[in-house]
Amino acid sequence: MVVRIKNLVKRYGDLLALDHLSFSVNDGEIFGLLGPNGSGKTTAINCLLSLLEYDKGEIEIFGQPMAPDAYHIKREIGIVMQNVAVYNELTVRENIDYFCGLYVPDKKSRKELVDEAIDFVGLADFADFYPQKLSGGLLRRLNIACGIAHKPKLIIMDEPTVAVDPQSRNKILEGILALNRQGATVIYTSHYMEEVERICTRILIIDKGKPIATGTKEELKAMITMEEKITVETQQLTPEQLARLRALPHILSAEYQNGLLVVKSGRGGHNLETVLSFIRKEKIQCGKIYSELPTLNDVFLEITGKHLRD
Amino acid sequence: MFAHIFSYRLKCLLHDRETIFWTLLFPLLLAVFFQLALRNIDKNEIFQVIDLAVVDNAAYRNDQFLRQALAEASTGDDRLFNVTLTTAEQAEQLLQTNAVDGYIVVAEEPTLFVSRSGIAQNISKSFLDIYLQTAAAAGDILQQNPARVAELFRDLAGRRHYLAEVSGTAAEPDTVLNYFYTLIAMACLYGGFLGMREITDIEANISPLAARINVSPVHKLKAFLASLCAALLIHLAEIFILLLFLRFVLQVAFGDKSFYVVLTTILGSVAGVSFGAFVSALAKKAENIKIAILLGVTMTGSFLAGMMYHNMKYIVSRHFPLLSCLNPVNLLTDAFYSLYYYDTFTRYALNMGMLCIFIIIFCTGTYLIIRRRKYASL
Repeated sequence: MVVRIKNLVKRYGDLLALDHLSFSVNDGEIFGLLGPNGSGKTTAINCLLSLLEYDKGEIEIFGQPMAPDAYHIKREIGIVMQNVAVYNELTVRENIDYFCGLYVPDKKSRKELVDEAIDFVGLADFADFYPQKLSGGLLRRLNIACGIAHKPKLIIMDEPTVAVDPQSRNKILEGILALNRQGATVIYTSHYMEEVERICTRILIIDKGKPIATGTKEELKAMITMEEKITVETQQLTPEQLARLRALPHILSAEYQNGLLVVKSGRGGHNLETVLSFIRKEKIQCGKIYSELPTLNDVFLEITGKHLRD
Repeated sequence: MFAHIFSYRLKCLLHDRETIFWTLLFPLLLAVFFQLALRNIDKNEIFQVIDLAVVDNAAYRNDQFLRQALAEASTGDDRLFNVTLTTAEQAEQLLQTNAVDGYIVVAEEPTLFVSRSGIAQNISKSFLDIYLQTAAAAGDILQQNPARVAELFRDLAGRRHYLAEVSGTAAEPDTVLNYFYTLIAMACLYGGFLGMREITDIEANISPLAARINVSPVHKLKAFLASLCAALLIHLAEIFILLLFLRFVLQVAFGDKSFYVVLTTILGSVAGVSFGAFVSALAKKAENIKIAILLGVTMTGSFLAGMMYHNMKYIVSRHFPLLSCLNPVNLLTDAFYSLYYYDTFTRYALNMGMLCIFIIIFCTGTYLIIRRRKYASL
């Protein structure tokens, strides 16, 4: 086990930021910490890194208690902060070399690591650029390179793709998968469920500092009653028809708004077929019909009653 | 590790154009401005010989004492007057055309006529008043004790001065110097900008960069010390550049105690950097408040030390002596001043002692604030 957090409690005055949060991260995982803004993800990470005082709880990394002076543990950790943390007065290469040098004193081996990191994040053409000259996406990549150049065993990434263009986001996510393949364990926090679904092997959903659910994405989706969401474009649907649709077996909910009928159906039925039969029987004229599997947002919605991005 | 952080920190600070402007270029520009504005101030204070007309009438010709007094006052290199003998009409005409500062008409007693008030007119009036007092005293003595006339003339000829102007050193008095000394003191305190940045980059609850340093396997205080040394080195270099510029380009005099002048700038630099660090550690995230405190203290201190009006230093010293002792800009200015004017080190040592107390307070305060390793909030 790489990380173990047990009953972590953190208060900011009267606000309970972390409410007995517990989780563990296994070797080789990409562990996703998913929750809306203000749910306590960054607070949990800062406590984990011994930056923040906490009121109660235990934190172990690599089987040892984490503390501000646990330098042997810190040496094996790489951090990618939510905010870009680089020096504007140093070039891309100098920034990476500076932060790598805090972990790797030997100049020669450091040079190789810095070159590798520059190649890894695709900044070879910008190595002598100052950060002000980089776009938002490239700046994020530099931020990542500064955190991972020393080849840590544990990489903690706190929302590294905030305000990043899709191309750079893709590059970053691919990079995380590559780092994981090279043997690094990754803790990845985000409020973007698509990212977490795409790269994380295990996910913890938190809200208001409390753990809500944990598991693989398949396990999480299996926790909820909804199996399928069917959307039908139609301009004619009476309230009576909507009521009859809701009464059908396995239909959890049916909402009609702005010409869109959204039907959520439960497990065990032939849901699409049921809805299509109903449309035919009621002679409802319709446009496109499409079916979606539940997302992590649906999981979050069913458990908390609100959307991830609320 | 120390060398790694130190060398990169030097690079960072040297590329920080804004800080370099305020800590180096701004004082240099201000020095040039001072030189341009104050260069002639002493020349304006050089005494100009007063042009005086005397109406050459019978009363004047009979007043032997006045003629003798005027003759003495209008001969030699250090003469007071250029005397022109003229008629009453011409004298009035010369006065109206400003060809003379005033004219004297001797009737029952000499009278000075002027068309405006000024230094020349005041000096002329004082001269005439002293002459009248002396003449009256001599007249009384001659009337009451004619036998002592010889003694009287001996006394008048051999006036004694009971005050003598002396300088502690061989240095020439120069009112302009204080402006440049306050400028160096201000530049020292501007080192606070560097100290402020060091705190911003080491306190995890102030900047993400600092958070990154705090999670690295380097002791926070070790990283801070390396960075602070780099900041001090840069600031010292800047102050020395300013000092050399003042001394060799603008020809500002510092006296002959060069070692102590350098020591003063070193302590001033340490005081400035530690002051900025202390303010930054206290005010935490409030960037604007930090800058306001730093600039407010430095500029108010500079004003009270005489940067804008050189007599302010003496006004504050006379009426608010405690404020003088609590103003680091004044302590530094006064240290330079005492090195220039005094042979003894008592006053210099007092200033430096107070400055060292400030440095100790700033450093201890900063240490106590930043020594914690975990934060209540970020």
